[in-house]
Amino acid sequence: MKLSEVKVDQIATIRALGSDTHFLSRVTSIGMTEGTRVQVVRNDRKMPLLIYVRETLLALNRKDCEKIEVEVKA
Amino acid sequence: MSTIALLGQPNSGKSTVFNQLTGARQHVGNWPGKTVEKKDGSFSYNGVKYELVDLPGSYALSGNSDEEIITEDFIKSGKADLVCILVDASQLERSMYMVSEFASMGKPAILILNMMDVAEKQNKSIDADLLSSRLGIPVLPFTAAEGKEYGKLKELIVKELSDPHTLSSTPYLASGKESKGKKSADQLKAESETKFQWVSEMLDGVTKTKSEKYELSKFDRIAIRPVLGKFVTIGIILLAFLVAMIICIPFMSLGSMIPQYTSGPISDALTGWNVHPWLVSIFSLMIPNVIYFSLSMAAFVLGVNLVFGFLEEVGFLARAAYQFDGVLSKIGLQGKAVAPLLMGFGCTIGGSCGTRVMDNWGQKMLAMAAVWAIPCASIWAIVPVISGMFFPAWGTLLICLGILLYIFVMIFLVSKIFGKKLAPVESRTGMIMELPPYHKAHWKHILKESFFKALDIFLRALRTVTLISLLFWALSYSKSGAVEDSILYKVGTTIEPVTKFFGMGWRTFMAFLSSAFAKEAVLGVLNSVFIGDNSLLNATFNAKTSGADAGSLSTVMSNSVSKAEALAFMFAVTFNIPCVMALSTTYRESHSLKWTSRVAFFYFGSALILSCIVYHLASLFM
Repeated sequence: MKLSEVKVDQIATIRALGSDTHFLSRVTSIGMTEGTRVQVVRNDRKMPLLIYVRETLLALNRKDCEKIEVEVKA
Repeated sequence: MSTIALLGQPNSGKSTVFNQLTGARQHVGNWPGKTVEKKDGSFSYNGVKYELVDLPGSYALSGNSDEEIITEDFIKSGKADLVCILVDASQLERSMYMVSEFASMGKPAILILNMMDVAEKQNKSIDADLLSSRLGIPVLPFTAAEGKEYGKLKELIVKELSDPHTLSSTPYLASGKESKGKKSADQLKAESETKFQWVSEMLDGVTKTKSEKYELSKFDRIAIRPVLGKFVTIGIILLAFLVAMIICIPFMSLGSMIPQYTSGPISDALTGWNVHPWLVSIFSLMIPNVIYFSLSMAAFVLGVNLVFGFLEEVGFLARAAYQFDGVLSKIGLQGKAVAPLLMGFGCTIGGSCGTRVMDNWGQKMLAMAAVWAIPCASIWAIVPVISGMFFPAWGTLLICLGILLYIFVMIFLVSKIFGKKLAPVESRTGMIMELPPYHKAHWKHILKESFFKALDIFLRALRTVTLISLLFWALSYSKSGAVEDSILYKVGTTIEPVTKFFGMGWRTFMAFLSSAFAKEAVLGVLNSVFIGDNSLLNATFNAKTSGADAGSLSTVMSNSVSKAEALAFMFAVTFNIPCVMALSTTYRESHSLKWTSRVAFFYFGSALILSCIVYHLASLFM
């Protein structure tokens, strides 16, 4: 599923980041690589997502979150 | 002289370390040929002077932005004898990425684990010795806002300059070394994964890895709500502005006493010594006012920096940015611009120096250009007075509403005209921003930094304001004291046919010109050009003390100015260059004469066009 579809407080693992190199270098340099665990802290309509990655609280644009494929463990 | 460079990601505390080390011995400019701010300075230790360069903050060194290219080139050039890499100890794994990027360059370095106080508060322990032995460079646990820690840092820097260390471990990249030029998506992914893998290896056993869940703080649960949070944010910023005003009002009123109490005596004394009236007016009118203006500016800068320093350091500004990023990104600005923009309603100077929180120079300049469009408190005081002379109360209300609406048009124009250059569309990426954990504010550090900034602005403002004042003084000087003898009058009446086209007669046009100098001057100048009981010079400089008589002014003005002209005039004044102090603050903050004058010309020109449109439209109905 997409990162933008993950519910609050669920923990997801990043599976695919797509192939847009500009986007890739931005998200990877801030700590989001394939295999990284992400906790969704807030997911409000029309707002950037708040996620917790590598000990850091990040605000990430909703459109960008739609490009990130994740897997949620039940 | 040895040169030391500071390298770190945004929010790593780099500028705090830079300011604490250099104090007032710093120089801010631009990197040659780039619109990226360059900060360098120096510090002394045991009588030896060292040069310090603050490299632009970025998350990586992959050549994706001007900031990254400058940093990489600078390090590779070997101009730095030692690179101090700053990382955030409370987010060590993520911020160590910068070290992995730096590793392949093979230059001497030390690692500073900043924000140890925050890390300790979160019960994160870090084995600095183990990390140091793995990396092969010294590792210093540090809290940048604590002044007493700098002795250790300087000592370490000096020691390393004579006995430098380079990283003994570097991420092993499959291709052998960092791939050059444009990387493919797979290369990018592989390289960043390798680098984070290396970071994990370095940190294995150094930190206790905890995979605890993140809990929003009580305050965040309110501040981050989509609707309520926005109101809370606006409320806090307005409150902050109020506090800044309270801080600067005593200084301003003290400053206002300078012209009030010195003008008369100086003028009397100099006239008594038969000094040329030319010089008398310079010394008795202009200079005391220049000091007053500069002092007010410095007081504003002090107040704004204190509250902004506080809001930024505790981590609130990042939340504000998160709330407003959606709206502001539409005009090419970052969410952070919300604070300076709101402050603009109080004072354009305050808003302009508030833009210091922006991430890069282009954003800062664009934000300042947008702040200019926001009518400051003085406008909201003048417009009702003028409007009241021509229109009933509901008319005034409509005009204020019209002004409010036009702010959006103006900001839209600013973003269309300047946005492309200052915030290139390809650089306008969606928000990726960290929300730092709330910290305790280090007041001593905030006070020190605000004070330095205020002093700096005061000294620089003296020069800029003097220059512009001299110009205005020369234009409005009149031997007899009557308006008709000034150059401004002669020019004004000569070009009246032209200004008429723009909707203003020579009198209102002159007041329009003076509004670029100081909004407070507008009423005084109107008074002097319409009634003529006061010299133009006096009216401009002693705006508040000249006591514009609204009653008689109203009678005279409403007889000689049409309603359409009055309306055009009010809009033109509101969206003109805000004031000479805002102009000089913008120049001081941007370090760019080119861009400051571009923005100034734009505002002056667009105010004239606006006036023209309003006048001719209003003439159809009034």
